[in-house]
Amino acid sequence: MTVRILLVDDHPIVRQGLKTLLEGREGWQVIGEASDGIEAVEKAQHLLPDVMVLDVTMPRMNGLEACRLIRKRAPGLEILFVTQHDSAQMMREALDAGARGYVVKSNAARDLLEAVEAVSQHRTFTALHGRAIIASG
Amino acid sequence: MRLRILVADDHEIVRRGLCSLLQKHEGWEICGEAADGRDAVEKAKQLKPDVVILDVGMPNLNGLDATRQLMQYDANFKIIVLTITDSDQVIREALDAGARGFVLKSDAARDLVSAVEALQHKRMFFTPRVNDLVLAGFLDKGHAISRSEPPSLPTLTAREREITQLLAEGKSSKEVASLLNLSTKTVETHRSNIMRKLSFHSIRDLVVYAIKNNIIQIDMPPQIKNNPGSPAA
Repeated sequence: MTVRILLVDDHPIVRQGLKTLLEGREGWQVIGEASDGIEAVEKAQHLLPDVMVLDVTMPRMNGLEACRLIRKRAPGLEILFVTQHDSAQMMREALDAGARGYVVKSNAARDLLEAVEAVSQHRTFTALHGRAIIASG
Repeated sequence: MRLRILVADDHEIVRRGLCSLLQKHEGWEICGEAADGRDAVEKAKQLKPDVVILDVGMPNLNGLDATRQLMQYDANFKIIVLTITDSDQVIREALDAGARGFVLKSDAARDLVSAVEALQHKRMFFTPRVNDLVLAGFLDKGHAISRSEPPSLPTLTAREREITQLLAEGKSSKEVASLLNLSTKTVETHRSNIMRKLSFHSIRDLVVYAIKNNIIQIDMPPQIKNNPGSPAA
């Protein structure tokens, strides 16, 4: 299955790590990268990816704000947060903002592929405190 | 001859990014990876890499104390410290510990290859801010890097710093003992000595001390409700 992915994180080295992991999966393609929320909104509208992998803490515009805007402007795009915050409150904020998935950065190497696969099929994937939950719809 | 590099960072995604970046360079290879400072020290002693890259904020043993341990073991180790902050204190500690390179994590994609190349050619690599501090020290300015500054609190030994980190991370004396191959009684004696030296009466005091002195690093809690546009979130 082909999945076109937009990567958003302010640290290039993290984007590099995520990209290496994602492009190891056949058919998955990182079609663009952004380093803050404003750039993410622009590229989401321009590139129309299937999935956006989005950080929370970023300069200029944070990921939550970007997520809200993108949900309005590109409603078909699924958003997966990959963040350092292993926090139920933050996860709730992310889902309320319109995200389909939530993965903690320290577990991303383990959870990311499964999470992208789930959200690309419009299923919800959340993983907190090392525990992953996948839900349909 | 290939340049052998050991990469230590507790986030696997960051390690993947670092390794991917370094492996693109002809003649360089990743000879090992480590997810905490203790693992890094063991692997460095065993693998004898040409260059060691150590994240500062790692669990069990932070990158600065790992640098101190490695330099004490063998002063020929070439170590690059990776950090999220270039505060004066972290810079001073990294230089004092014996690091020959200092790279900000946010700039790693741009600077890390240059830093490894510098160490490969027996030079040092520092960010412009570190260079400024070193120069200020040379010129003996007010914020000079000085080894003679009196510490604000009594100095802990290397072992006491290790135990301080583990206790501040929430480990019990028994868990610390197991990690360091010591008896619980020995750890408790160290713990009493640390608290007495620093005139602390609670673990909370010790946690604050560990954060202030870069022994542990914490993620800042996000401000999501009050200011959703803030970059702090």
